[in-house]
Amino acid sequence: MEKEPKRIRILLGKPGLCGHDRGVLVLAMALRDAGMEVIYSGRHNSPEQLVAGAIQEDVDILGVSILSGAHMSLCQRIANLLREKKAEDVVFVAGGFIPDEDVAGLKTMGVREVFGVGSSLEDIIEYFREVSRDKRGQR
Amino acid sequence: MYDKEFLETVRTNAKKWRQAHEQELQEAESDGRVTEDGILLKPLYTPLDVEVDFSEDIGFPGDFPYTRGLEAMGYRKNLWTLSQYAGFGNARETNQLFKNMITHGNVPYLALDLPTQNGCDPDDPLALGEVGRTGISIKSLRDWEIIFDGINLGDIYVGTVANAQAAVILAMHVVLAAKQGADLTKLRGSLQNDILKEFTARGNYIFPVDPSLRLVTDVIEYCAKNLPAYWPICVCGGHFSEAGSDRIHEVAFSLGNAFAYIDEVLKRELPIDQFAKGFFFLMKTNHYDFFEEIAKFRAMRKLWAKTLKGRYGAHDQESMKLKILGHGGGSLMTRERPELNIARNTIACLSGVLGGIQLIGLKTLDEVFGIPSEQAQMIAIGTQHVVAYETGIPDVADPLGGSYYVETLTKEFENRVLEELDRIAKMGGIVRATESGYIRRTIAEDAYKSHKDLESGKKIKVGVNKFRVQEEEVSLKPYHLDPEEEARQIAELKELKKNRDNSLVAKALHALGDVATQPSSSENNLVPPIIEAVKVYATMGEICGTLRKVFGEYKEPAVL
Repeated sequence: MEKEPKRIRILLGKPGLCGHDRGVLVLAMALRDAGMEVIYSGRHNSPEQLVAGAIQEDVDILGVSILSGAHMSLCQRIANLLREKKAEDVVFVAGGFIPDEDVAGLKTMGVREVFGVGSSLEDIIEYFREVSRDKRGQR
Repeated sequence: MYDKEFLETVRTNAKKWRQAHEQELQEAESDGRVTEDGILLKPLYTPLDVEVDFSEDIGFPGDFPYTRGLEAMGYRKNLWTLSQYAGFGNARETNQLFKNMITHGNVPYLALDLPTQNGCDPDDPLALGEVGRTGISIKSLRDWEIIFDGINLGDIYVGTVANAQAAVILAMHVVLAAKQGADLTKLRGSLQNDILKEFTARGNYIFPVDPSLRLVTDVIEYCAKNLPAYWPICVCGGHFSEAGSDRIHEVAFSLGNAFAYIDEVLKRELPIDQFAKGFFFLMKTNHYDFFEEIAKFRAMRKLWAKTLKGRYGAHDQESMKLKILGHGGGSLMTRERPELNIARNTIACLSGVLGGIQLIGLKTLDEVFGIPSEQAQMIAIGTQHVVAYETGIPDVADPLGGSYYVETLTKEFENRVLEELDRIAKMGGIVRATESGYIRRTIAEDAYKSHKDLESGKKIKVGVNKFRVQEEEVSLKPYHLDPEEEARQIAELKELKKNRDNSLVAKALHALGDVATQPSSSENNLVPPIIEAVKVYATMGEICGTLRKVFGEYKEPAVL
C-alpha cells in the first residue's frame, strides 16, 4: 500500500511591529481548508524567533506578512538568518503591503515569491503545492 | 408607530400592490438578498414593517435617545469636523503638512510610526525597518515641540492614535500646551487609549491586560479631573471592521469595550457624569450596505444613551450623547482603477453625514500604494467639502428619519447588537472574551467569509472582480520616506541624550517605576509621574521601558 504523502507544513508569521493580521489569518484558514498543516506564530515576532520556529517545526514553507513598510529590512534579516542556520531549504515567501518596485529586491535577497495586496488564495495554495512538490522531489 | 385605522388602509393597499406585482415580487424575494451582516432585505418597506415606538426609538434630534443625532439643528448650526489621519515620518515635514491641512479646515489626527506606538525608541532592535513608516517617529517632547511649532495648541483640537502609550502622548501634549500658555481647562484633543482593541484587532499592545487597563483608567481619571474639555478615550469599532469583522461585531465589540472601561473607572469612585463625556467612538464609514451603515450610527447612539442612563444612572445629557468619528476603511480602497476610490470615499462620507456623526476622516485614493501624499489628502478634504457645501444634505437634520426602510434597519441592527452583547456577557464579559480568543476568532471567521465572497464574486469590487480594465501605469505618487530617515532618527536620539540633564531623567524614571509598583488607585495614578519624566525629555522607550520592567509584556493567546 502506498504511504500517504506527508502534509505540507507551513509557518506563517508576523515579523516586526505590524499588528495587521487579517490577511495572514485568512490565508491560514484557507491553507488549512486545503489540507495543509499551518502554524501561526502570532504578532510581534523577531526574525530570530521566526527562523528558529521554522527550523524547530521542520516546515516546508515560511511565510511572513508585513504591512508596515518594513519588509525590506525584515526580509533581509530573515534571509540572512536562514542562510546562517543552513536552513535554505525552507521556502521563504512574503506577503502584505509590498510595492511592486520592491519585489525584485526581495527576490534577490532570497524571498522566493511575493504575494502583495489582491493576491488570490487559490494562486497561493497552488504555488505552495508546487514548491513543496519540487522541494520533496529534490530530497 | 401608526394607528390601527391607518395601518388597515395601508394593509389593504399593500395587498392590492402585491397582487399587481406578484411575479416580480416572487422573483425579487427568492434571490434572498442579505447585507454583509446577514440581514435579509425585502424589495420594499412600508409602514407595515416599522415595528418601533416613536418616542422610545426615534424621537427628535438633540433629544434622548439621540437616534436622530446629537444636535437639535443637525449640521445646520455646525458642520461635522474634518479629521484626516495624517503624518509623515519626521516631525519637521509633518509640521508643514499639518499647517497646510489646518488652512483647509482640517483638524490634525496624528499618525504615529510603529516603534512610537509600541513604546520603543528608534534604536531598539524591534524598530528595525519600522522607523517613520506608518507615521511620525516621536522620541521625546522635542518632537512634539517641532510638530506643533507655530501651531497654538490652545486653539485647535488635536487627535492622536496613541493607545498602549497614550499616557505618554497625553503628557507631551499637556506639557507643550502649558509651555505655550494654553488654558488647560479648555484644551481640546483626543487619544485613542483603547487598549482592548489593540489586543483583538490592531496589535499595538505592550503590557499585559491588567496593567494596560490600569493605564487606560489613569488617563481617563486624570483628564476628568484636570482637562475637562479633552477626550481621553476613543473606543474603536473601525479597527474591528478593518480586521474583517462584520458590522454587528464592529458595534458590539466596541460598545462592550467601552462598558468595560466605564466599569474600571467606576472602581475609582468617580461619578459617571464626571467622565463619560470624555468618551467618543471611531467607527468605519463604509460604502457597502450604505443604508445599514446609516442605521448603524443611529442604532449605536440609541444603545449608548439607553445604557448610560439605564445601567450607569447618568443624569447629564452630555454623558448620554455618543460622539462618533467616522473613518474610511483602507481595506475598501483598491489598487485596480484607483481613481474609483474617490467615488467610494464620497459614498462613505455620505454614510457618515446621513448617519449624523461628528467627525469624518476619509481614506485617500493612494492608500493602497503607500503613505498618502499631501495631494491625495487634499482630494479627500475636497471630497468632504463637496458633500458639505454643494449638496444641501446638511440643511435638514436626520433627513432619513422616518424612512420605513432605515427605521426598520435601525431597530433590527439594535436588536442584533444586543444579542451579541448578551452572548459576550454570558462568556463572562468582554475582557474574558478577549483573553479567551473569542473576539479574535470571530473577527477572523468574518474576514474569511468576506474574502471567500469576494473570490466567488458574490461580493463585487469594481475593477477587481468585475469591470476590470487593462491596467495603465499608475501615476499616483504616495509619500516617499527617505531611506536615511531611520539613521537620522537614531542620530537625533543620541543627540538628545547627550544634551539633556540625564540625572533628572534617571530621577524621574525612578519615581515613575516606584509608583508603577504600587497597586492601581487614584493616589497611584501614573499620569503625573509620566508628565514629570516627559518634562525632562525622557524618551518614549525609556518611559515605556520603565513600565515594562514592572508590568511585563502581553503574550497573546493562540487564535487558530
